[in-house]
Parts: sequence; structure tokens; C-alpha cells
Amino acid sequence: MATVEVLLLLAVAAFLAGLAGSYLGIGGGVFLIPFMTLALGMPIKVAIAVSLIGVIATSSGAASVYVRDHLTNLRLAMFLEVGTTFGAIAGAVVGILVPNVYLFLTFGVVVLYAAASMVRVAETAKDRAYRGGEGERPLVKRLNLSSVYFDQEDQGVYRYRVDRPGAGFGASAAAGVFSGLLGVGGGFIKVPAMNVLMHVPVKAAVATSNFMIGVTAAASAFIYYSQGLVDPSLAAMVIIGVFTGTNLGTRLLVRSKAADVRFLFAIFLTGLGIAMAARALGLFGGVL
Amino acid sequence: MITARARLRVVQDRIAALRRAVLTEVEDINRLIYHILRGGVVVSVAFLLFGFILAGLTGLPLPDHSTPPRSLGPLLVQFTPAGFLNLGVLVLIFTPVARVLLSLLSFAEERDRAYVLMTAIVLTNLLISVVLLA
Repeated sequence: MATVEVLLLLAVAAFLAGLAGSYLGIGGGVFLIPFMTLALGMPIKVAIAVSLIGVIATSSGAASVYVRDHLTNLRLAMFLEVGTTFGAIAGAVVGILVPNVYLFLTFGVVVLYAAASMVRVAETAKDRAYRGGEGERPLVKRLNLSSVYFDQEDQGVYRYRVDRPGAGFGASAAAGVFSGLLGVGGGFIKVPAMNVLMHVPVKAAVATSNFMIGVTAAASAFIYYSQGLVDPSLAAMVIIGVFTGTNLGTRLLVRSKAADVRFLFAIFLTGLGIAMAARALGLFGGVL
Repeated sequence: MITARARLRVVQDRIAALRRAVLTEVEDINRLIYHILRGGVVVSVAFLLFGFILAGLTGLPLPDHSTPPRSLGPLLVQFTPAGFLNLGVLVLIFTPVARVLLSLLSFAEERDRAYVLMTAIVLTNLLISVVLLA
């Protein structure tokens, strides 16, 4: 059983994870899992199970606000969720079977890939948002994926076209696999996939990613839950902390400049990449 | 002149009514999703806080593993912290599922076949993980 100090530390960490997660469109698992394994010394599978619960809390808490404010692209979310849920089932099955060493290895590779793909693009989301609905791919047109959102930054209404539905679908499926495998939301793949590949403005991408990750995590979380692998006390502290964090994070995002969001996301990915690479290279022998 | 103005007025009213109808439809589904997601988290947090309060009052230990839904009943009836902490976690897990169910109903109402199909696939996938792996 966890001590009171551990529970309170976890609630504070969860608050920060919820804050960052709701602002960046990620579940916050990438913060919670390392914190629980490295700082609190918990086994990786306990950390993954609790983190999946935190991802659902981040998603539900943040997405509710973004849906109300019309930032979320509901159709795009549903389209990509098809791929994500298939991936999540595959990931969760594999995750229970594979040894921990592969979990860490996969974690590192995924993060570095996402960091590189985000850094490659210099164009701002606002530039893309001005392009209308012309020149849509047939699938985008058929599924009515392009959308409109209202940006509080400059009180503007932006109509944006969704590009490369196939690539985005594939990336979402991959994000689903990693979500089930590693207990993270997969938002660090989905946000770049929507923003960079599919040309969705960054705030809409963050909101839509946040909306989606809860469903992916719910499938995986229930599998862990029903096998008795979720520690309800730890999960409870995480839910309470995360919920408080998302209330602040959503307010920040709605008022932020799109350029700032992308900049912070790039910093986040780079930091994540460096941290994971260092861990994979330096600590592999000792810890695992 | 008066009839022309009256006609213009009728047309303007119709446009306004149409706009309201479109806006409220979009607004309705967004509002509903907002309330489902928000409500799910708030109810979950309420159960969790109640669980912690029970632990503080009764001195019963905090649970360290999840209890499958079918064995949860007795724990709840006995008012144990384990029962309510597990219930809070379960409510949260099912919040996104409830949201997908709601999406299915709204797409069905719009008679949007492609999206009904996609939502059904997502729901089936969630069910598969619950039934096969749980």
C-alpha cells in the first residue's frame, strides 16, 4: 500500500500532467510514467495502468471544454478513432506479453520520431487555416472532414481543409498501438500527425487529439482494470490531480497564440526525445 | 411598397429561423457531449473523494488492486473505501465510452451512414477488448 507522502506527491505530479496534457493535446502519460517509475520507484506495469486512468481524466476533463468552445473537429476525431481503437487492442495484448526492456526501447524510438517530424515544419498553422475547402481529397469530401473553428487569439473564424486522410489514419493507428503498449495517450503522435500531415490548425489538432485519446485509453484501461492491475488509490489521486490541472490548462490554450502552442509542443517533444534517449543509452543495464 | 417590405421581412425571418435551427443543432450535440464528459469526471471525483473520506473515518486500508465489476457489489454495500475508489475509477473509464454511444445516436439521427458505421466499429472495438481480454 502506498504511503500518504507518495499519494500526495502523485496528486501534484498529476496536476502538472493534466495542465500540460490539456494544453498540448496529450494524455500526460509521458510525464506520469517516468515520474512514477523513476521518482516513486513503482514497477512499470503499475505505472502504465495508473497512467492510462490519468489519460482518460485528462481527455475527458479537457475535451469537454474544447467541445463546448467548438475547437474540436468531431468528425475527424471519429474517423481517426477507428484506426486508434484497432491499434489500442493490439497494443494492450502485446503489452501484457512483452518484457519491460522492449517497452522502454519502443518508448524512446517513438518519442524521437515524433520530435523529428515536428521540427521539420516551419510553416505556421494560421497560414494554412486561410485555405478554403477547395482541392479536397475525395475521402475528405465524402466524410466532410474539413471544418471551421473560432480562434479567441484574434477573434477570427477559420475554415480549414483536412489533407492526407490516409496518412493521418495510419499515424492514428500507430498511436493506438503505443497507447495500449505504453499507457500513454498517444497524443504526441496524433497532434503532429494532424498538424503536420493533415494540415489541421494546431489548436484544433490539440483539441481533437485530447478528445480522441480518452477512447483509446478506455479500451486499454479496462483491460488492465479487469485483471486487477490498476491500483485504485493511486488512480484516484491521479484523477483528482489531473482534473484540477485540466481546468487551468484548457483556459490557457484557448487564449494562447497558435505559434506559442507549436513552439511549446516542439520543446516538449525535444525534451522528451533527449530524456528517453539518455535513459535508453545510459540506464539500460542498471535499471532493467 | 408595404407588401415588398413585408415580403422582405418574411424572407429575413426565414433565414434567421434556419440559422437558429442549424446553430442549435450543432450547439445541442456539443452541449450534450460537454455534459457527458464533464459529468462523468465530476461523478467519478465525487466517488473517489467519498472513498478517501470513508478510509479516513473507518480506518479501513486503501486498496492496491482493482476489483472486477462483478465482485464490486459487496464492497459497495459494506461501504468500504475499496468499493468507492474502484467505482470512481470505473465511472471514469466508462465516460469516453458513453460519449461514443452518444455520438452514435447523433449520427444515426442525422442519417449519416458512413459515420454511423465508423462509430459502430469504434464501439465494437471497445467491446472486443472488454469481452475478449477482460
